[in-house]
Amino acid sequence: MSSKNNNKSKDTDFDNSKYSMDTKVIYGKNISNKWDYAHHVTAPISSSTTFRLDSVERGAHGFMQFANSKEFGDESPIFIYDRLGEPNKDLLEENLAFVENGEMAVTFATGMGAISAVLGILCKTGDEIITHATLYGCTISLFNNWYPRYDIKVHAVDLTNLENIHTVLTEKTKVVYFESPANPNMDIIDIQELKKVVDEINKNRTNENKIQIVIDNTFATPFCQRPLEFGADFVIHSLTKGIGGFGTDMGGVVIGRKEYRDLLLLYRKDFGAVLNTKSAWAILTYGLPTLGLRQRQQIDSAMKIAQFLENHPKISFVNYPGLESYKHYETAKKQMIDFNGNFAPGSLIYFALKGKDAAECKLNGSKFMNYVADNAYTMTLAVSLGHTRTLIEHPASMTHSVVPPDELEKRGLDAGGVRLAIGLESTNDILMDIEDSLNSFDK
Amino acid sequence: MGFATDAIHAGQHPDLETGAVITPIHMTTTYAQEELGKNKGYAYGRTSNLTRQSLEANVAALEKGKYGIAFSSGIAAINALMSLVKAGDHIVVSDNVYGGVYRLFENFLSDYSLEFSWVNMNNLQNVVDAVKPNTKIVYAETPTNPMLTITDISELAKICKERNLISIVDNTFMSPYFQNPLLLGADIVVHSSTKYLNGHSDVIGGMVVTNSDTIHKRIRFVQNAAGAIPSPFDCWLTLRATKTLAVRMKQHNENAIKIAEYFRDKEYIQKIYYPGLSDHPDHELAKKQMSGFGGMISVDLGDAEKAKNFLKNVKIFTLAESLGGVESLVCHPATMTHASVPKVERERLGITDSLVRLSVGIEDVEDLILDIENAMK
Repeated sequence: MSSKNNNKSKDTDFDNSKYSMDTKVIYGKNISNKWDYAHHVTAPISSSTTFRLDSVERGAHGFMQFANSKEFGDESPIFIYDRLGEPNKDLLEENLAFVENGEMAVTFATGMGAISAVLGILCKTGDEIITHATLYGCTISLFNNWYPRYDIKVHAVDLTNLENIHTVLTEKTKVVYFESPANPNMDIIDIQELKKVVDEINKNRTNENKIQIVIDNTFATPFCQRPLEFGADFVIHSLTKGIGGFGTDMGGVVIGRKEYRDLLLLYRKDFGAVLNTKSAWAILTYGLPTLGLRQRQQIDSAMKIAQFLENHPKISFVNYPGLESYKHYETAKKQMIDFNGNFAPGSLIYFALKGKDAAECKLNGSKFMNYVADNAYTMTLAVSLGHTRTLIEHPASMTHSVVPPDELEKRGLDAGGVRLAIGLESTNDILMDIEDSLNSFDK
Repeated sequence: MGFATDAIHAGQHPDLETGAVITPIHMTTTYAQEELGKNKGYAYGRTSNLTRQSLEANVAALEKGKYGIAFSSGIAAINALMSLVKAGDHIVVSDNVYGGVYRLFENFLSDYSLEFSWVNMNNLQNVVDAVKPNTKIVYAETPTNPMLTITDISELAKICKERNLISIVDNTFMSPYFQNPLLLGADIVVHSSTKYLNGHSDVIGGMVVTNSDTIHKRIRFVQNAAGAIPSPFDCWLTLRATKTLAVRMKQHNENAIKIAEYFRDKEYIQKIYYPGLSDHPDHELAKKQMSGFGGMISVDLGDAEKAKNFLKNVKIFTLAESLGGVESLVCHPATMTHASVPKVERERLGITDSLVRLSVGIEDVEDLILDIENAMK
């Protein structure tokens, strides 16, 4: 439930603008017409696949009303069947839209469910997408393995230099898609500058041909970055990561302008990547309300760990947006801003170990990670991120294994690069384990 | 309504707000109050929870009772029932009950000046003889655990009514599907819902059912005051499980009868205890008050070493405490469920070191029999 208290939930004029986002993520918009359990201080878990319709007429009204806000506006939903919509997802969606400063959110079963949905409603056969070269491996897989079937062309370029857009731009370009920070190399794309470039292109385009900016904001979380405020059209998240925060539930979300909600609901209904109610409840109850607390701790640790790595003789490079030495530091500082206006460079670090050549760099990285896997109490060799536990992985062979060795460089990946996703352990304990692991082998 | 219909519908109306056909899991611990002294009937999760209320109404209907009161374990439910008496009162208990009840009464509640007499309730004259001026409750388990002797519930209820005593029957072994003690005159039915009611070995719980307004009032008070409530999630799981109670019990019963028949002429069996066998001493009584014989069988293998080997060699049956799950379990009462009963007392009851208790699951019975056969080789 989103209410501060029972009376407030009924008060549509209640103004919560003077409260901080940390407070507001706990209460949401403070108003919900989705489920009248406002007197339950914690929302119930919806556990029904189907909903009783009092009459054929009400059933018919429900079906007409579904994904039809044009005719029915914001009237209270008539729940029909979980895949179409149920209260827990609705409550979570209200709060997710709110925390990203978006007009609406639609959740999906996973982050990939959300990505395929937003691109599914924006693109059709013949359309083209421009992406940043460095992307999560499964997103690359979606583009490489499936989009050729639909004849949707995907051009991967380096968007840290926005000039590159023009090298692949065509009349058919419909979407610019990227992650910032990018997975795993922490590339930062300047969202405001990108918006200017896209606006310029859109000037001469009809409404249905305008290019939309879609950003995967998973690495930053809304605590560190709210791209809609910088002009992005859609934000997507893997809720499995920083927002879910505990490694217990999968989920995804698309956040954007109200006019797209109907299409996204329709897509979700017909393609079926529906978020489980119990996961929605856990993210609503545990994940989102603790986002700020967790992120602050993780950023604090990440900063210290990045500095430690930067000064360690066995490390060849550290990509962390909080390091002044990092090439994208200035851009990061401009757009990675927490709820209180502080620089919030996130909880992920990408780095590599030194070696006399590429093969030895990679070997040393493997030695380091294998030692961690066997000996480190505070680090677990596992994919995923934004967890309570610090997770470490080798993108080239794990999350990004879809990228062939000869294309690693083009995709911004280092063959021996290590991705470190900081958890909630005591900072000194993580540092101790990293130091031990680095000392465990010669050179 | 028929049992299976009640199991699926009783206590579960579609969610008033959304129409959700299945009861939500009401996870909140507290409820916003509209103003001082005004709420929607819900103030705090320990006191009232809608998912718990649905489960209580559901099991009450299955036991043909007016009120159900849910607890966090069977033992918590039984402990709550003992709040119907006070220091100095006397309780007559069946001498062959679950070991944990013996432990609760003799090693814990006796410290609070409650007095217990343990009698064989296979012969109810023993109950009559044990009643004293300060007797308040007669507590029975039928069939008993693990000896599967039967107590005549109607007769017991009659004796209690004549003497103004409260009769309590632990109906865990039969589940409401095969036996309804309230219909036979008992005042209170108690369950370890961990067993057949939940049936999937994943929730610990207890349940009290009664028709009496006074008993309900007291036990409801204790549920809140002493606080041994089940979680909303556990209530939801149990509610999900009662829906299949009828089909599960039919299969438990069918499998157990086949296994008991199989055991009957095996020379390695010294003695078999199963009320469904026509030569069980209480078979006729069992037929009178139960509509099936359940899934529990005890066998005496005559030799402790043999029992040990059997328990070691079974593959499908799992050596574990508890019972009533879809999976078959086997246990050694003397060292496990009834270890808290003194050895002399155990031997007297027949809980020898060579006694093995089977909780027959709903697997293919041919596989279960083959498993037993192989383990006996």
